[in-house]
Amino acid sequence: MIAIVIPIAFAMLFLAILLGLYRLARGPTVLDRVLAFDLITTCAVGMIILLSIQWQTPLFLELILVFALLGFLTTVAFVGHLRQTRQPPGPPSTPSSPASPGAP
Amino acid sequence: MIELLTFLCLLLGAALMLTAAIGVVRLPDVLCRSHAVAKALTLGIFLMLMGLWLQLEDPRQGLKIVLAIFFQVLTIPVSSHLIGLISRREMSPLPSAPPSTENKPRTIRP
Repeated sequence: MIAIVIPIAFAMLFLAILLGLYRLARGPTVLDRVLAFDLITTCAVGMIILLSIQWQTPLFLELILVFALLGFLTTVAFVGHLRQTRQPPGPPSTPSSPASPGAP
Repeated sequence: MIELLTFLCLLLGAALMLTAAIGVVRLPDVLCRSHAVAKALTLGIFLMLMGLWLQLEDPRQGLKIVLAIFFQVLTIPVSSHLIGLISRREMSPLPSAPPSTENKPRTIRP
């Protein structure tokens, strides 16, 4: 049972990280990239959780805490940096081709 | 029973994180993407940490799990809110046209 569930969840997180990397490569703005990086960090935390369940060890709990803290810290630092450097508002850059929202 | 609950938590959490990633790719704007991240990702990581807590042998380690859950639930919406603030100030992603007040017949999409 555990040999079936954990690879499925791991594959889901892997696919989520791939989609986040796609958005990080093709983000029209900087904020999209920051958001995608936040998603990737949290998915990495989920992968650490899966490894900790697979190996039956509680050693990775501090690693989970450190990863969560670092993801939040990078986001806050980057947003503060943008807030300091972009005081004059530039030209409004709308996304070039907004994707169609999914079916309701 | 505990194992079944653990696997349910893990699968639901991973599916929610995948949903957040799909939302980040598919949604059209920065605000929509930050919305998707703030909700789906928070619930997903919460469920995965609960699954890890059910699988631990030493119950004293649960304090770190509680700390991690508290921290994730506290910080992911805060970061998303900061991104939304910057986006609202810079990009002006909302449509500037006022909503039309004419009484148009609404067409219900199938």
